[in-house]
Amino acid sequence: MILVIGAIASGKKDYVRSLGYSPEAMSDALDDSHPVLIDLEKLVDADPDNCMQLLPDLLKKEVVVCCEVGSGVIPAVRRDRESREATGRLCIALAKKAERVIRLVAGIPVVIKS
Amino acid sequence: MNVLLTGGSACGKSTYAEKLAVQFGGYLYYIAAMQPYGEESERRIEKHRCMRAEKGFTTIERYTNLKELTLPERGTVLLECLCNLTANEMFDDGGAGENTVSEVLLGIESLEKQCDNLVVVTNDVGSDGGGYDRLTMDYVNTLGEINCRLAKRFENVYELICGIPLLIKGELL
Repeated sequence: MILVIGAIASGKKDYVRSLGYSPEAMSDALDDSHPVLIDLEKLVDADPDNCMQLLPDLLKKEVVVCCEVGSGVIPAVRRDRESREATGRLCIALAKKAERVIRLVAGIPVVIKS
Repeated sequence: MNVLLTGGSACGKSTYAEKLAVQFGGYLYYIAAMQPYGEESERRIEKHRCMRAEKGFTTIERYTNLKELTLPERGTVLLECLCNLTANEMFDDGGAGENTVSEVLLGIESLEKQCDNLVVVTNDVGSDGGGYDRLTMDYVNTLGEINCRLAKRFENVYELICGIPLLIKGELL
């Protein structure tokens, strides 16, 4: 599994396309028919408390794309803090198992782990 | 040896900082700047305390006025974290107020003189476009300035991403 992270509009999906995946290969739903999962942070936000349960299915994907949401001022709303924390923890768990971790910076893929 | 660790929330800074401190060895101090302010933070503090259990850290809770802290012995110090220390100095009664930048930096200098290795954890609070009220923006600017000034003179600066250290300055230890 390749974990692709980066800020909003940093070029994550373009990078995934450059790996040979069409937009049809990408989905934000955790089903069996798409090799690429995008917008992981939204999936986590739907149920932050139970997001670690997504891990086995995420590891079956070829590519997982997640927005980096942990930077900036810590949110005043508890639910927002928990969602951010849950996303970070899940990404740490994914990065541990991933063959590669790529971070997009202004459209440039930076290798974090390979 | 000194190391500054930065990164967003839940990027693995604490775990990595502890690993680094244990690797440096000697007498291990954990200086905790986070004040308990309710059930959520108590849970966080408890989580961090458990993570340090059996690793041999002596925990010192220090919320302000770091420069007056005296360590009983030399060794390795892990200071966590500047985002809390800065907020405490800025907003607590008895904190440094408008002198926060110099007080925090003096506190860290004082620690450096008393230990062999220092690991400092900070946070990347300036990376979301801002637009907050004046008080919050003062805080973002103050912590940003402290981070810049520390990174300038620290030997090693790493950014943690998904639990993986990315070298910004110095070398990966």
